[in-house]
Amino acid sequence: MEPREPRPKIPVLITRRTFLTSASAAALLAACGPGTPSSTTPGGTTGTTQPGGTTTPGPTTTVTGGKAGGILRVGTLGGANDILDGQHIVSKADIARQATGWEPLLNFDPDYNAVNTYALAEEVEVKAADNYVIRLKEGIEFHNGKVVSADDVVYSITRLLDPDSALFGGSALRPILDAGGITKVDDRTVELKLIQGVSTFKDLLCAYTLTIVPDGYTRFEGDVSNQIGTGPFKLTEFEVGVRSVHVRHENYWNAPKPYFDEVHIIDFADADAINNALIADQIDCIADVSPAAVDTITGSGMTILNSSGGGWLSIVMAVDQEPFTDVRVRQAMRLIVDRPQMLDQVMAGYGRVANDLFAPLDPCYLGDEVPQREQNIEEAKRLLAEAGKADLEIDFFAPNDTAGLPEMVTAFSEMAKEAGITVNPVILDGGTYWGDEYLKRTFATDYWGTRSFLAQVAAGSLPTAPYPGDHWPPAGSDFIEKYNAALAETDDAKRCDIQKEMQTELYEEGGLIIPFFQNQLDAFNPRLKGLVERPNTLNLDHYGRGFQELYFEE
Amino acid sequence: MGVWKFVGRRILLGLVTLWVVSVVVFAATQLLPSDPARAILGRDATEASIKALQEKLGLDRPPVEQYTSWLAGLLTGDPGESFNARVPIGEYIGDRVYNSMFLLVLASVFSIPLSLIIGAYTARKRDRAFDNITSNIMLALASLPEFVVGLFLVLLFATRYWKILPAVTAIGAGGPWEHLDQMILPTATLVLGAVPYIARTARASIIEVNESDYVEMARLKGAPEKTVLWRHAVPNALGPVFQVIALNIAYFAGGVIVVEFLFNYPGIGGALAASVRVRDTPVIQFLAMVLAGVYVLTNMLADLATVFVTPRLRTRLK
Repeated sequence: MEPREPRPKIPVLITRRTFLTSASAAALLAACGPGTPSSTTPGGTTGTTQPGGTTTPGPTTTVTGGKAGGILRVGTLGGANDILDGQHIVSKADIARQATGWEPLLNFDPDYNAVNTYALAEEVEVKAADNYVIRLKEGIEFHNGKVVSADDVVYSITRLLDPDSALFGGSALRPILDAGGITKVDDRTVELKLIQGVSTFKDLLCAYTLTIVPDGYTRFEGDVSNQIGTGPFKLTEFEVGVRSVHVRHENYWNAPKPYFDEVHIIDFADADAINNALIADQIDCIADVSPAAVDTITGSGMTILNSSGGGWLSIVMAVDQEPFTDVRVRQAMRLIVDRPQMLDQVMAGYGRVANDLFAPLDPCYLGDEVPQREQNIEEAKRLLAEAGKADLEIDFFAPNDTAGLPEMVTAFSEMAKEAGITVNPVILDGGTYWGDEYLKRTFATDYWGTRSFLAQVAAGSLPTAPYPGDHWPPAGSDFIEKYNAALAETDDAKRCDIQKEMQTELYEEGGLIIPFFQNQLDAFNPRLKGLVERPNTLNLDHYGRGFQELYFEE
Repeated sequence: MGVWKFVGRRILLGLVTLWVVSVVVFAATQLLPSDPARAILGRDATEASIKALQEKLGLDRPPVEQYTSWLAGLLTGDPGESFNARVPIGEYIGDRVYNSMFLLVLASVFSIPLSLIIGAYTARKRDRAFDNITSNIMLALASLPEFVVGLFLVLLFATRYWKILPAVTAIGAGGPWEHLDQMILPTATLVLGAVPYIARTARASIIEVNESDYVEMARLKGAPEKTVLWRHAVPNALGPVFQVIALNIAYFAGGVIVVEFLFNYPGIGGALAASVRVRDTPVIQFLAMVLAGVYVLTNMLADLATVFVTPRLRTRLK
């Protein structure tokens, strides 16, 4: 299971523009992209990751003298609730800061294979689906000069497993690993014995919050000197909610990177302010731009980074509650949605139409193989009449702190009128929406980042999932048995077959409506080089992997 | 009744007001939906970890006990720790309090003299072209929300027409006073927001005084119009103006949240909004008390100043 994306923190004074900007913040955050199981075959010797991975990280792998030096100023939406912890995040600003200083054991390459680029493990050997051996790269130094050792790995993973710490990176690990399963083999090697076989375990190790911190590490509580990691930049100043300063890690293992002398990460509470700062050349790049602001930004000579992703906003029907216990009502609801129109209305068209299935970057994604579901009001009416719900009236809930969701609820209720049913939009204050009634409502909305299919099922589509909004699976389904079979299946092709069966069931009878996958929009000054448009889980091309890939044009 | 007795009574009244405010603030934060422990731990929290944190934060104690220990902390200069940042509030919010005060002082230093001059001048030129034009402009400014004025200034001077001023603050190391160029637009926005109110009050007040017997007398005895205005009329017209100024200063202290958002200014308005969002109760309580303190203090000073510039009130104290 994966931890949940943080809720975007948006200002109390919500203008339409700030609101839209938060849409990307909300929906595109992702703990960890989906993995490509082909490189993670457990149960044999094939599952190791070779140094360097299979792809080059970007266009800037060679260095010229012109790249070095300077200060990069990054704008991000954050606020007084910022924290700093190498293994935890609360707001979006926290992710940018975390990326400068801490690195995971493995990482996804652009094709979503778990590789060791930008990561600390030399290899992760798969001895069995429940048994993994992590071998560290040699001589990697923390910011304080200490060499990363197996003790640090043991400490880092143990820290994540502590339920009281509530670390963002830990919730994915806790169900499958306990502290007794971690063994130090030698100075550079740690062996993990899982509670159960998890064929996608290496994908979990790619989570950006599953980082290595030094033995004894604690979170920032006013003193920057203990904020030690291995990343390309070291924290020297942090004024909560205002600004942080990160200086170049001189002994960074991926030399000659990073190029900048310093990175300043500046908090903004308001989307207009952050856009203005970019246009006035007070900052060099910003994470999250609202579709509405794109024209203003490009018109001022700045560049938009438009990355496709697997993030989605979903309409959630609880399959064990009236009227959605009847599969015909669920099917009718899905036929009411005009997906292209909804994408236009909610995301100004920045995204692609989806087919009620999640995990589009998973190699076993079925959504492109089955017919594209389209609006069909007549069929919806027929199904509703058949189910005896032709004059259905129902409340449809959304939170006011996650941009896109209120718009989606409103758009849906308009479309529902055509089918002769009454859908009442109920927009609640975020605190109330995500409170005690969250995951219990009959008809609601939610947002998700990018995950592989099985990880997403574990996060939202099982009775044991932390966020089981649609209360899937319904009685009589063998979905759970299939899930367990897929998790234990070490043969890629066979696992793919099982996943497709599961997706067929979701496509035909599921409790989710997924109208689109939205893009991630960022902006930068064209002077800044090194950002690449590609499918990504984090903003600004995964924050230039801790900003090490970025530099100014001479 | 002596002057000091009057002052003492006002201070006492101010303290009582603050105490009432403290009760209201505490009660209000208790009524906020959702529990700070849950807000901090997020949705991954278990019932046990929520309970443990509630104990650690003292949230499991009876409200009255929580209130008294909080009040005792406030009085002894220890407002507690931020739930969210887990650092003492002074450390967490201190810089922002300074920043807000700095913006308040800057805005006051420009808006008060400017308003008085405009008010006096328009009163003197009453119903002439200058007065009419100025009055209309000020009416228009007063009716525009700050973010419109601010956005307009940013478009004009920072991002669109003349790119000569910084669009936002808090870029670069050090406090805002080390980057005065970044302060120009936020200060100008506040000044443009406050001047119409103060100037119009000053104008009305001076016109009223101008029509009084003693000003008539001064004119009749042949004093130049300038002397009549600044020596006789303005000092007597200041009473109501002080009240408006006090309201404006109090407003600068906390009500400038729009300006803080627009210019990304690290002040207490934004911090208060953020704290409410994450249910950081100690910070909410502290900032509410700071703002209440500023209101009480400025109003008290305005009352005292009014008394001192109004002979009729002053002599009554004797």
